[in-house]
Amino acid sequence: MVPGGVRFPMLSDPGGRIGALYGVYDEERRLDLRGRFIVDPEGNLQSMEIVSVQVGRNVTEVLRQLRALRHQQETGELMPCGWEPGKPTLPREAEASKLSGEVWKNWKPRNAFS
Amino acid sequence: MGVKIGASAPDFTAEAYHQGSIKKVRLADLRGRWVILFFYPADFTCV
Repeated sequence: MVPGGVRFPMLSDPGGRIGALYGVYDEERRLDLRGRFIVDPEGNLQSMEIVSVQVGRNVTEVLRQLRALRHQQETGELMPCGWEPGKPTLPREAEASKLSGEVWKNWKPRNAFS
Repeated sequence: MGVKIGASAPDFTAEAYHQGSIKKVRLADLRGRWVILFFYPADFTCV
């Protein structure tokens, strides 16, 4: 179904043991809910999302968050709402305080939307 | 342990299928890389 096969490992979670560790195991349904977690290179959790079983996830958003988190860690910059590569960032927190009330000069609300 | 943003993600080891073979995957072995954990309830739900 996927040309070349699926590139990432597909793990088995019998009994929802790992799901329970992550707070996504549903005891009544005996299934893992659609939890999604992003872990950084230091092993720290940086993002998580769980959605009700009837509604699927937004993969574009997962990739957006991953890119934003990576950029943030690599540069120390702040990543405003809806940031995607090419959109403006804000300077590191120490400098950002000077921007109180002035952010609108560098960032417009339309940047929050795709 | 629990899940907490900014704290260490709970470590685990699991059997996994990856490109033709079965192997063990441990989260702690993936340090140095960004990791996405993508839980799902069952195959072919179409959701």
